[in-house]
Amino acid sequence: MSTTCKALLRACPLQRQQPSLLPLTQCRHESSTRRHRKLLALPEAPSYTRRSTAPTLVFNPPSSAPNVYHTPSKFLPKEDKRLRLYAAAQQHAHKVAHSRQTSPIAAPGTPLHTGSHLPPRPSASLPAPVREPYEKKYHLTESDVQEIRRLRKQDPNTWTRVKLAEKFGCSQFFVGMVAKNVKKAERVEKEHRASRKKWGNRKRLAKEDRERRKALWGRDA
Amino acid sequence: MKRIPISRCASQLLAPSPLPRRPLCPYAAAKHARRSIVPHSHRVQARFQSTVAVPDEGDLELEMAAHSGPASTSHSRSEPLPLESLPSPHPSAAERSTRLHALRSRLSLPTRFPLQALARTLVHPSADANPAFNNASLSILGRQLLGYYMTEWLLCTYPRLPMDVIFAAIEAYIGPKALATVASEWGIEAAEEPGGEIDSGLLQFKRIRTGDDLPAALRRQAPWKWNVTTTHKIMTTDEFGSEDAPPSPHALEKTPVPSEEAAQAFVRALIGALHVHLGSPLVKRFFRDHFLSRHLDISTLFDFRTPTRDLSHLCAREGFESPVARLISETGRLSRHPVFIVGVYSGRDKLGEGAGSSLDEARVRAAAAALKAWYLYKPAEVTVPSSMEGALDTSTWRPNYVDCGEVIV
Repeated sequence: MSTTCKALLRACPLQRQQPSLLPLTQCRHESSTRRHRKLLALPEAPSYTRRSTAPTLVFNPPSSAPNVYHTPSKFLPKEDKRLRLYAAAQQHAHKVAHSRQTSPIAAPGTPLHTGSHLPPRPSASLPAPVREPYEKKYHLTESDVQEIRRLRKQDPNTWTRVKLAEKFGCSQFFVGMVAKNVKKAERVEKEHRASRKKWGNRKRLAKEDRERRKALWGRDA
Repeated sequence: MKRIPISRCASQLLAPSPLPRRPLCPYAAAKHARRSIVPHSHRVQARFQSTVAVPDEGDLELEMAAHSGPASTSHSRSEPLPLESLPSPHPSAAERSTRLHALRSRLSLPTRFPLQALARTLVHPSADANPAFNNASLSILGRQLLGYYMTEWLLCTYPRLPMDVIFAAIEAYIGPKALATVASEWGIEAAEEPGGEIDSGLLQFKRIRTGDDLPAALRRQAPWKWNVTTTHKIMTTDEFGSEDAPPSPHALEKTPVPSEEAAQAFVRALIGALHVHLGSPLVKRFFRDHFLSRHLDISTLFDFRTPTRDLSHLCAREGFESPVARLISETGRLSRHPVFIVGVYSGRDKLGEGAGSSLDEARVRAAAAALKAWYLYKPAEVTVPSSMEGALDTSTWRPNYVDCGEVIV
């Protein structure tokens, strides 16, 4: 793949903008028809490749978001017979994939590897997580919680929720839960309200639209 | 309370035999008897006091006289009253109405369904206050039937739906707006003013005059309690989970109503009349053809506020590994319009996938998609309980999947 792209780039170099004063020298490009045809001769995707000479159907739907009416196999109840069917289909796909020579663009790990109507193969590696997954540690003792409360009460401006969470290795939500500071929260809220009042019309509208769009996330997924 | 079969329970809907105005339905003729009515379910009683005693023939004499044709003039001494004095068209005019014939064949109803019954479903109580001639009682029956068939279908097809979504879906399928749309799609037209001289094929109701307010019975009432619980919605109000029970159709006599109210009463009354005259198998088929065939994307009815938290609670409850958001692909991270595609994984299984212009958006959307995938689970084979009604061979019955309920955070 990468070699092909490089060669194509080489085939059409940038035109020189400025007429240079240097004498013209002949430079040869890979622009002949034969070379281009050779470069663009990519192997076909497996879903387009006919397996036998008999007439077959080519099923290659465009990529789209999965249908929510298609229940993932993990969500199927134990007694549902679709579980057995899916397992059989997956086994068959496995066997076929091992027995057949696949084209390099449909190598394992590429989107063309699995058909969109099949569950992903368990051997395929999972994509990277968006956030680092974490385990809940439950490591804070009663004395730690007392300490958090004391610090927060003593100087809420220095010991904010973020600082306390970093110090004790817990979440900000937990700090807010055990050491609530109502006065500080009210003050901060008042400041925010004051700064919101200074917003102009455009900014306010933009923020409101953003809120409205956010409410749609859970509605039209 | 003594239980009575549902077919007999509806026999109140046919006027007793000595009445000249009401032609007999062959189906119900065998079951024809004057008996006191016992509501067959607590909910009916809780929702509407559905039993209205039909008053004895006081003004029926008048209607008899009004429509005594040339054959019966020798029997009646008085002059025939003008048709305009009747509140709604005479049942005998139904056979002559081309609109009714057209409507019956448009809905593919068998010819044994009497046109008189079809004409009666088109008379709203606001037009004719007499419960023997308006569709109030039929619409109560039809409302219960519609609610029953709809709810059982939804609960069996999507056993994991949260209660709020079920209410919203029921309202979308058989709510007032949907029923009014169905009526207009059937080509129902309304009369400007109800009266005896009007064609029986027109929807008869008393309109609200321009500029007038909505009548007090139809106005939004304050709920009986401000913190209305889901249990209250399930147990005591209507099938849409409204805060208050809707007004009984019998309470709308002589009150002007909006056309939507009259149209939905007609559709419900038609279901009730079909049940009375043709029996429940045909009603079930009619319901499948005209209501279940309407497409509703239930996945658009969800509104999650904290999908990520709900999903991790769900995984903890079901014993799955806690969900982890993973970046499947991305483009233009440093540009003005980046796109991130994030999948939510539990262990090695992908639960949902979402795309967004920020990592947070994609993560939240993926969690919402995973929750929808959980809630929109559909069992492979579904047999609704009503399909086994009166069936001799119950070997095709499969017990339905029952879920332990929605995620409560």
